[in-house]
Amino acid sequence: MNPRLLLVYTACLALVAGPARAQFDFSKLTKAIDKAKTITDTAKDASKVAKGAAGIGPEEEKVIGDSVALEVIAKFGGLVRDEDVSHRVNLVGRALARYSDRPGLSWRFGVLASDTVNAFSAPDGYVFITRGLYDLAASDDQLAGILGHEIAHITRKHALNIVRRDEFFAGSKSLLEKYSGDYRQASAAAGQVDAQLQQFDVGVGKITAGLIEKGFDQPTEYAADQAGHNLAALTGYAPGGLRSVLVQLQQPGGQAKKTFSTHPPLKERIKRLPDEPAALPSPPAP
Amino acid sequence: MKPHTPPGPWPLVLLLVAAVSVEAALVAGSVVYTKRFKTTLLAEPSPLAAAAGELALGRKLTVTESKGNWLHVSDGPQAGWVFSGNLAEIPPVETKGLDGLPVAAAQTTATAAARGLTPAAADYASRRGLESAREDLDWLLEQSANLTDEQVDEFLQAQKKGEYK
Repeated sequence: MNPRLLLVYTACLALVAGPARAQFDFSKLTKAIDKAKTITDTAKDASKVAKGAAGIGPEEEKVIGDSVALEVIAKFGGLVRDEDVSHRVNLVGRALARYSDRPGLSWRFGVLASDTVNAFSAPDGYVFITRGLYDLAASDDQLAGILGHEIAHITRKHALNIVRRDEFFAGSKSLLEKYSGDYRQASAAAGQVDAQLQQFDVGVGKITAGLIEKGFDQPTEYAADQAGHNLAALTGYAPGGLRSVLVQLQQPGGQAKKTFSTHPPLKERIKRLPDEPAALPSPPAP
Repeated sequence: MKPHTPPGPWPLVLLLVAAVSVEAALVAGSVVYTKRFKTTLLAEPSPLAAAAGELALGRKLTVTESKGNWLHVSDGPQAGWVFSGNLAEIPPVETKGLDGLPVAAAQTTATAAARGLTPAAADYASRRGLESAREDLDWLLEQSANLTDEQVDEFLQAQKKGEYK
């Protein structure tokens, strides 16, 4: 058994057992709390030099990504649970992700049950495209352009840069340790768990709001457009896929005012992307 | 004299695509890095060529020649061809996060894709009343896990994408 847990456990038993031994056991309990505090202080020191994505480890990124993905799904009416749709979007997405800068992430691609026209990404490889946008992407070249843009946000850790690591994890050494049984019990004794979880929830809320309500700043979006364009072309998709979708949306009746509300104006995005072929003679994904 | 016939759109299409490829290609002397747990060096610039070696994650390589999107690279005595999409122009910046664990890039895609929801996120879903979203996410994770790396590779081959172009 972990020494910290053993100390807390022993102390708690002794407190219940009777006053004759309470003083001795209280001292052990205090030591356990001090140890938990030491962990906290160590983390605070580390977080002083760890700003943004640079300090967030891969296991922490998984937890953040899962949590943000849950929020995105909830806010857009759930997922379209169509196996054929899911297969197509994951096949094209995974083909692109293979050649991205982070091929080892847990890449997952989902279609949100919303008729708005937008796409989002969450840390650790989550890409979401609304049904409204998916329906517009008739060709795999267009779908690849859209997914490539979102993949670029993930590989460049744009969402993780919305918050600093110490905003997420203040009060604990790491999220993994926080969720380990021994640390939770030790921290609970010190009354820290609730505060830590609240802190984490606030961090997830900030990222989700940044993605869904504000969006990234325009230079970040233009950089993702270019990187997505390059990734699609490298993978073998027509490099003009994304641009053709944007042009399509800009046409009369193309829902231009209702689309990509979290992205820069369509006109500017189109202007910055090269005018290239929107389709190559390839059959749609099986 | 045979009358001149204006070319159809496809030569232009191919020219433009080639231009992107050339732009993406790196010249001899450039430095690139491996970005996978294992990167196979090939004897020829073809995915079907014989293996000429294997490199670990984060190896610094020198480009000695390029052919389209294929790069001939060397790492000391080891040398061979690699599709440029399997290499990175910048090194993997993280070797460890503050959680003390190695980068996710060191894992295989198959392993990563097959993972379920993290316990901490499951706890988050309960705290936030996101049970319905969790059911959807569990479904997505299952769908993703069912799609294997081998299927993605077969798709790339059938569609002539990536290194199979």
